[in-house]
Amino acid sequence: MIVSVKNLVKRYDDLLAIDHLNLTVHDGEVFGLLGPNGSGKTTAINCILALLEYDKGEIEIFGRPMKPEAYDIKRHIGVVMQNVAVYNELTVEENINYFCGLYVADKKLRQELVREAIEFVGLQEFTKYYPKKLSGGLLRRLNIACGIAHKPKLIILDEPTVAVDPQSRNKILEGILELNQQGATIIYTTHYMEEVEQICSRIMIIDKGRSIAVGTKDELKAMITLGEKITVESQRITAAQLSALRRLPNIVSAEYKNRLLVIKSSKGSNNLETVLEFIKQEKIQFGKIYSELPTLNDVFLEITGKQLRD
Amino acid sequence: MSLHIFGNRLKCLLRDKENVFWTMLFPILLAVFFNLALSNVNAGESFQAIKLAVVNNSSFHNDQALQTALDAAAAGEQKLFELTLTSQEQAEQLLTEQKVSAYLLVDEEPVLVVSKTGIRESIIKSFLDSYLQTTAAVNTILQNNPNNPALLFQSAGERQNYLAEVTGSAADPNNILIFFYSLIAMSCFYGGFWGMREVTDIQADISALAARINISPQHKLKAFLSSLTASYLIHFSELILLLLFLRYVLQIDFGAKSGYVVLTTALGSLAGIAYGAFISALVKKSENMKVAILIGTTMFGSFLAGMMIQDIKYLVSQKFPLLAYVNPINLLTDAFYSLYYYDTFSRYFLNITILGGMTIAFCLGTYVIVRRRKYASL
Repeated sequence: MIVSVKNLVKRYDDLLAIDHLNLTVHDGEVFGLLGPNGSGKTTAINCILALLEYDKGEIEIFGRPMKPEAYDIKRHIGVVMQNVAVYNELTVEENINYFCGLYVADKKLRQELVREAIEFVGLQEFTKYYPKKLSGGLLRRLNIACGIAHKPKLIILDEPTVAVDPQSRNKILEGILELNQQGATIIYTTHYMEEVEQICSRIMIIDKGRSIAVGTKDELKAMITLGEKITVESQRITAAQLSALRRLPNIVSAEYKNRLLVIKSSKGSNNLETVLEFIKQEKIQFGKIYSELPTLNDVFLEITGKQLRD
Repeated sequence: MSLHIFGNRLKCLLRDKENVFWTMLFPILLAVFFNLALSNVNAGESFQAIKLAVVNNSSFHNDQALQTALDAAAAGEQKLFELTLTSQEQAEQLLTEQKVSAYLLVDEEPVLVVSKTGIRESIIKSFLDSYLQTTAAVNTILQNNPNNPALLFQSAGERQNYLAEVTGSAADPNNILIFFYSLIAMSCFYGGFWGMREVTDIQADISALAARINISPQHKLKAFLSSLTASYLIHFSELILLLLFLRYVLQIDFGAKSGYVVLTTALGSLAGIAYGAFISALVKKSENMKVAILIGTTMFGSFLAGMMIQDIKYLVSQKFPLLAYVNPINLLTDAFYSLYYYDTFSRYFLNITILGGMTIAFCLGTYVIVRRRKYASL
């Protein structure tokens, strides 16, 4: 086990920011911490890193208690903070070298690591640039390089793709998977469910400082009743047809709004076939018809009653 | 100390153009401005001969004693008067045009004509009164005791001074030095900008950069001291450049104790950096607010130390002596001046001891706040 958090409680005066959070991260996994803004993701990370005082709980990394003076543990952790944290007076290369030097004393080894980090984030053409000259995406890549240049065993990335263009975002996500393939364990916090679905092997959904679900994406989707969402574009659906539709087997709900008929069905086979049969029988005219499997947003919606981005 | 942090910090700080401007170029520019504005202050205090017209009539011609006294007062390098012998009409016109301070008309008795009252007019009147008293005394004595008039004239011409002026130093008093010394003191406390930045970059609850340092396997205080040493080295070097500029370009006199001047600057730089660090650690407000407090207190301290108006310094010393001793900029200014002027070190050591105590207090205060390694909020 790489990270173990037991019963973590953190309060800001009357606000309960972390509410008895339990979390385990296993060796070699990409662990996603998914939750809306203000759900407590960053607070949890700062507690894990021994930056924040907390009211209650136990935190262990690499099987040892995590404390501010646990330098042996810190040596093997790489952190990419939510806010870009680099020196504006140092060039790209100097910044990476500086932060890598906080972990690696050997100058020759460091030079090699810096070179690899620059290549890894694709900043070879910008090594002599000062951060102010870089675009938002390139700046984020520099931020990542500063956090991972020393090749840590555990990498914590706190919303590294906020305000990043799609091209840079893809590059960052591919890079994270590559780091994981090279042997690093990753903790990745975000409020973008697509990113979590794309890269995380295990996910914890967090809301109001509480863990509301943990598992692989398939396990999480299996936790909810929704099995399939069928959408039909149609000019006219009568109330009678709508109520008949709701009485079909496995249908959880059917709503008609803005010429869209949205049918949610529980898990089971042939749901789409049943709906198509009904449409044919009722001679309902339709344009498009498509079926979607549930997303993590549906999981979040069903558990909390609100959208992930609310 | 971490050489890696120290070296990179030097690089970082030297490229911080804003801080380098305020801590090095600004004091040099201010010194040039002071030099332009104050270069004539000492010259302006040297005595200028008073222009006096004398009506050149027959009575004046007949008054040999007055002619002798006026000629004596209008002769030599430190002459009291610059005389113009002229007619009464011309003298009247010169007075109206303010080309002379007064004119002297000798009739039965000498009469002084002035158009206004002032220090120059008072000096002429004092001279004339003194002359009239002396001649009256001589006449009275001669009438009562006509023996040996030569001895009487000799003693009447002599003035006995019962006060002796003793200088406390080999150096001449120099008013404008206070302006430059307080400027150096202010520059020392502008080191507060460096101290402030060091705390900002090590306190995880202030900046993301600091959070990154805090999560690295570097001992926080060791990293802080390494960075602080870099700041100190840069600021002290800037101050040495300022001293060299003042001494060799503006020709400002620091007296003979140049080693002590450098030592005082070294302590001043440390005090300034420690002060800035303390303000940054203590004030839990925005960086702009901290900068405003630092500049505000430094400028106010410099003002009280006589940087803008010299008389304020003496007013504070006389009316609020405690304030003079708790104002570190005043302590530094006085330390520099006492090195320049006094032959003894008692005043200097007193100031340096108090300043050293303040520096230790700032350092301890900063340590107590900065040593914390976990934060209640970020």
